[in-house]
Amino acid sequence: MVEALPVRRVAWLTAAGLVAAIIGWPMIRLFGVAFERGIGTVLETLTGPQATAAIWNSLWTGAIVAVLAVASGTGAALLTERSALPGRRWLRAGLLLPLLVPPFVTAFGWARAFGPRGLTDQVLGVALPGMYGPLGIVVVLVVAATPISYLIVAGALASRVEPDLERAARASGATWPEALWTITLPLLRPALLSALVVAFVFAINAFGVPAVLGTPAGFATITTRLYQDLALSADPTAFVRATTMAATLVVVALVVVGSADALFVGRGAARTALPSGSGLTRGRRAVAAGLGAVIVLTTLLPLVALVLSALTRATGLDPVPANWTLDNFASALDSRFLGGLAHSLVLAVAAATVVLVLGAIGVAARHGRSRALGTAITLGFAVPGSALAVAVLLAYGGWLRDTLAIILVAYVAKFWALGHRQLAGSVERLPGDQVRAARASGAGAVDAFRSVVVPTLRPSVIAAWLVVFVFALHELTMSSLLYGPGNATLAVIVLNVQQLGDPTITAAMAVLLVGVVAIAAVPLAIAGFGREPANLRERVSP
Amino acid sequence: MSVVPSRPTARGRRPHPRVTTAVLATIALLVWACAGSEATPSSPSATAVGPSVEPSSPEATPTATPVPAPSGTIRLYTSVTQATVDAVIAGYSDAHPDVTVEVFRAPTGELAARIAAELRDGRILGDVLWLTDPLSVQAYAAQDLLRTWEPTEASGIDPAYRGESYWGTRFLNMVIVRGSDVAAGPLSWSGLADPAYRDAAAIPDPGFAGSAFGALGYFALSSSTGLDFYTSLKANGTVQVRTPDEVTAGVAEGRFKVGMTLDNSARTAVTKGSPVTMVWPTDGAIAMYSPVGVVDATANAPAAESLVEYVLSEPGQVAIAGTGWQPIRPSAGGPPPEGPQVYPDWQGAFGRQAELLDSYRAIFGG
Repeated sequence: MVEALPVRRVAWLTAAGLVAAIIGWPMIRLFGVAFERGIGTVLETLTGPQATAAIWNSLWTGAIVAVLAVASGTGAALLTERSALPGRRWLRAGLLLPLLVPPFVTAFGWARAFGPRGLTDQVLGVALPGMYGPLGIVVVLVVAATPISYLIVAGALASRVEPDLERAARASGATWPEALWTITLPLLRPALLSALVVAFVFAINAFGVPAVLGTPAGFATITTRLYQDLALSADPTAFVRATTMAATLVVVALVVVGSADALFVGRGAARTALPSGSGLTRGRRAVAAGLGAVIVLTTLLPLVALVLSALTRATGLDPVPANWTLDNFASALDSRFLGGLAHSLVLAVAAATVVLVLGAIGVAARHGRSRALGTAITLGFAVPGSALAVAVLLAYGGWLRDTLAIILVAYVAKFWALGHRQLAGSVERLPGDQVRAARASGAGAVDAFRSVVVPTLRPSVIAAWLVVFVFALHELTMSSLLYGPGNATLAVIVLNVQQLGDPTITAAMAVLLVGVVAIAAVPLAIAGFGREPANLRERVSP
Repeated sequence: MSVVPSRPTARGRRPHPRVTTAVLATIALLVWACAGSEATPSSPSATAVGPSVEPSSPEATPTATPVPAPSGTIRLYTSVTQATVDAVIAGYSDAHPDVTVEVFRAPTGELAARIAAELRDGRILGDVLWLTDPLSVQAYAAQDLLRTWEPTEASGIDPAYRGESYWGTRFLNMVIVRGSDVAAGPLSWSGLADPAYRDAAAIPDPGFAGSAFGALGYFALSSSTGLDFYTSLKANGTVQVRTPDEVTAGVAEGRFKVGMTLDNSARTAVTKGSPVTMVWPTDGAIAMYSPVGVVDATANAPAAESLVEYVLSEPGQVAIAGTGWQPIRPSAGGPPPEGPQVYPDWQGAFGRQAELLDSYRAIFGG
């Protein structure tokens, strides 16, 4: 083990250096602006009644969203990964579907589906009460954040929880809920904490959902307040105020995520046997149907509403075939579309790959102090895109202005946390015995890594890559601030052709983006998840 | 329950040192590739302007003496709709084939944030600013970031629609939109607070939309009603949404019966067939102008000035009108005002944004 230490130290130093460069330095520049007028101005900004209300609103909605999203994500993961539900592959795809919808249209799809004069209101006369207000914000954010929690927990279930223990508990007379409560959930704790952290940060940095659904109720959050100050930032005072609000989000994330990470006590545990069906044995059909119904209601229906809006000639007309047209798509597709698509694909592949590579370095560096690294990485995700883009511009505008590279730096800073948490949730307890067995049988370090670590981590690795790829592909805010002549991304092109105002065009654009993302991501997802590791396949068979 | 303890297995988990090296090399390569491939086409923008600058240009007065034809590359920073920008730039490029115009278009907030970041690095990197409403441009003018000069083509512009360093190019009119199934008849602004529209009227949020802030400025500073206008709306259950387009959409969907929106938004909806009609308020549409100006730090003033001249000229104005906006020159056509126009006191509102927004939020929240 003596020769192992320098390697780990080198990896740690590398990871720390990269965190400092990609996230630390932009954050320092952001804080520099926020504090350039002294601590007095900062306090004055933060203690005004409107600012305190916004901070409080962000905190409580974020906390509720985190708890509910992790609860639903974990429930769904236990059902699809631990029980041989009929149609499991479809259920998985359905659970991940909300990821494909760009965040800035999620609220729109929901309002069209369940809001007043929405789809259900028109067909059944039923609208979701409180759609425009904190309730609607929480519900929509939970739906949007659930897939990320689901991926993290499902990845951890696939790669590390010991089914032998569950079976032992069941054999000793424990009921399924008892086994869940005393065995499975405690073993999932690191993944659950990771999922909570990501969902919380996802909720507090969301802008589109609170902006669309909160404004009618006069409900402001840190991000909506920040955006309004940014819009006035031709006035230097407003710009400093905006950076102060962004810095507040960083501090909130630092406190919440840092303390959650401090609780992240990893106890080594090796998977003792291949998993097998330790989940539901009866009522699987009913459970699958229930889960399917939830997916249809929360995900498919808003998508259908979105497609109907995109197909309808004008807002306010009934979405019936007589009023259908493809014009809305035509005006979103112009000659610049393909160029934007190319840029977006390059950036998304690069961002996803870089995040994985960084994740690998993080895994190599994994040791006590890497928790601090994890916290630092999450800070980039906590800042809303507009403020992060400003920070990256302040940090690297001098060298990289107007290049795709600066957009890539911003994407990595923003989405690194998604990949990192996804991997960290699974890596904590690699099958050490199997690695040792491989090494003892003569495999080199690389061989052992390839033959034991890689297959175990593959679901998580693919999930991490895909999540970053998808988020980068439909990223809008940072790109629209950072692009330069000749390198606009897809979302920027479509946004520029039509301001996000006309709902039919917005819907068409969303459908297009979802379509592009689906075309790009689904084959990869099938390739990744379809070929399950042998142990997973074995587990499925009842 | 017991957890099988296992010592950390460094051998199994660490990648080979060569893997780490390869990984770093990959990152370096990726960043380099991205920077390299994109820097090449865009680099002329940073360098090409140098040789073409005429030493005498800062003092040149384009009104009297003929100046050499402008050339080189300039960059336009704008929040104006893409179709309008495209039409104007196409016409300009025909008239000035030696000038390359790079367009950076972004919503007002993103554009302002980018400029704020650039200012911290030294200067605004755009040469011409063409914005949606006078608020931001006033702020830049107050910081002496815009070039003071006199375009030949600006002579006919009403002083209400221009400053020392920026000029109105087109109008955005805040009007009323009404659902087609709602009883017709003339409407004034105060008519929005009629009990007939209880819980069924919508206004855009001045914190989100510059045009809505213009309306706030008009009512707070210029109209006789003052902020009472908003108080009475709120008392009648009026709902605020983010933008004028959301107001139009909400009225079209039937969520609201009436609302405050921009004429362009209402006209577009009517043209597409949405069940709405545009109502010109009897006491006047609130007219805001979309200003253009030259950045003081420009390295290519002749070209930047020639672009502003073109936007204000008859052909430029015709191009603007052709994309559905009321141009600043009435002779250029476009959708005509259908009634009286009133305008906010921008000079009076400037510097009081935060205060006006605070008093608005005390009524509507958000």
